[in-house]
Amino acid sequence: MKLHQKGFLLVELAKHESIWDSDLIATVLSEYNLSGNYWANSFCVTLDELASAGLIARIDSRLDQGLFASKERVMFKYQLTAFGRTRMENTGLLA
Amino acid sequence: MTDTPLERATHRHYLRNQRWGFSWALWTAVLWGAWYIPGTAVWFEQPYVGIDINDSALRLSATAVMTWIHAILVFLFLLVWNGVLGKLKDYGRTIVRFRHISKWYALASLCGGPMAIFGSYMAMGYVGPVFAAITSLFYPVVGAVIARLWYNEKISKQAALGMAIIIMGGIVIYGPGLLGTADSTNDLAWLGYVGGIMSAIGWGTEGAVAARAMDVTDPDVGIQCRFSFEVLFWGILILPILSMFTDIPIGSLIIDTLSSGKAMLWMTLASICHAYCYTSFYKSFTLIGVGRGEAIGNLYGVFAVIFVAAVTLELPEWYFVVGLAFTVVGSFVMFRESAESISQLRDVATEDSD
Repeated sequence: MKLHQKGFLLVELAKHESIWDSDLIATVLSEYNLSGNYWANSFCVTLDELASAGLIARIDSRLDQGLFASKERVMFKYQLTAFGRTRMENTGLLA
Repeated sequence: MTDTPLERATHRHYLRNQRWGFSWALWTAVLWGAWYIPGTAVWFEQPYVGIDINDSALRLSATAVMTWIHAILVFLFLLVWNGVLGKLKDYGRTIVRFRHISKWYALASLCGGPMAIFGSYMAMGYVGPVFAAITSLFYPVVGAVIARLWYNEKISKQAALGMAIIIMGGIVIYGPGLLGTADSTNDLAWLGYVGGIMSAIGWGTEGAVAARAMDVTDPDVGIQCRFSFEVLFWGILILPILSMFTDIPIGSLIIDTLSSGKAMLWMTLASICHAYCYTSFYKSFTLIGVGRGEAIGNLYGVFAVIFVAAVTLELPEWYFVVGLAFTVVGSFVMFRESAESISQLRDVATEDSD
């Protein structure tokens, strides 16, 4: 069985030093065979939740159309935090 | 001062998240307030209307039956919600990870279900409904303190002040009703006080525990997990134990409820309110934190009075307006926090120390 989607996002973030949201969302859309603005926006909200909770940090931003937005919007580069890594270990997402 | 287009766009991004967080919390309060109408009306239908108010054991058992059927209906409405959102597969993927993740939703359901609801009914039964309402108002304090101590959720002075003003508003609304209700001959009043504390601790703890689980899971999926466990707790643990070890007619209470059209109508309406109230509740935690989400959720006291007035066509007492003013001011105090400060809700290490 596949990992739940928020867990998958965290695992992908753990694989990278840092990653732009557009690249991360492209990966998760492909993994779960999803497409369209609804899912792209839904994963943006998930990334906002993770950042609010302190599991990931925004380390850079830029204005761009990206892969999913029809108009220019702010995009973020994310990095897993030490707290995020600990939380992943606590929840079995990271060995 | 925000100058560049990027800074303006970033500010708008944080502002949007803050507004969504507070909007979800406000929906919690509206739907929670609306819930009181069908939630109370069901007690006036068979089989509940015939239960003697002094028969505590039967009344509490009937509450357990009602809560179980209610939880099943909530679960069904959440299935619809997650079905429409396309998150049912993710629900399956989440709930199976019990050992590390969904156990927290099981704990949240124990805190919010058996502990808080049972405590609230004890407070209602042994002291009075007004006392129960007032003690419940303190649950955001419990939630905020646990979230602070457990995972360092930031509670700014402004948020704490807003929370205090909202609680004060609730006390102004319900407090005068408490005067003159103390009964010195009631030797079992302590049970009601214990129940009141249980309800505040139960609901407060639920928020903190659920937010812990939502660190790594989706809130829409999380609320469905929480109600899955509540259905199981009542259905395969509490009700069977009551049925086996007491002579309370649990089976006939279930059948009589299911066969009563009016009871089921009220139960269905209550479940719709509760399902989406709880969904909003959990979604607000992820964007504005447990303390703020629960404090704004506390406005349910205001909306309950408004809905009761709308249904009964009886205006509330004059002091309701004073309490309403307090709660509105408290909400604005909280909402005036900067969107940027809410975009990171916890004091946590963002870099590896080694």
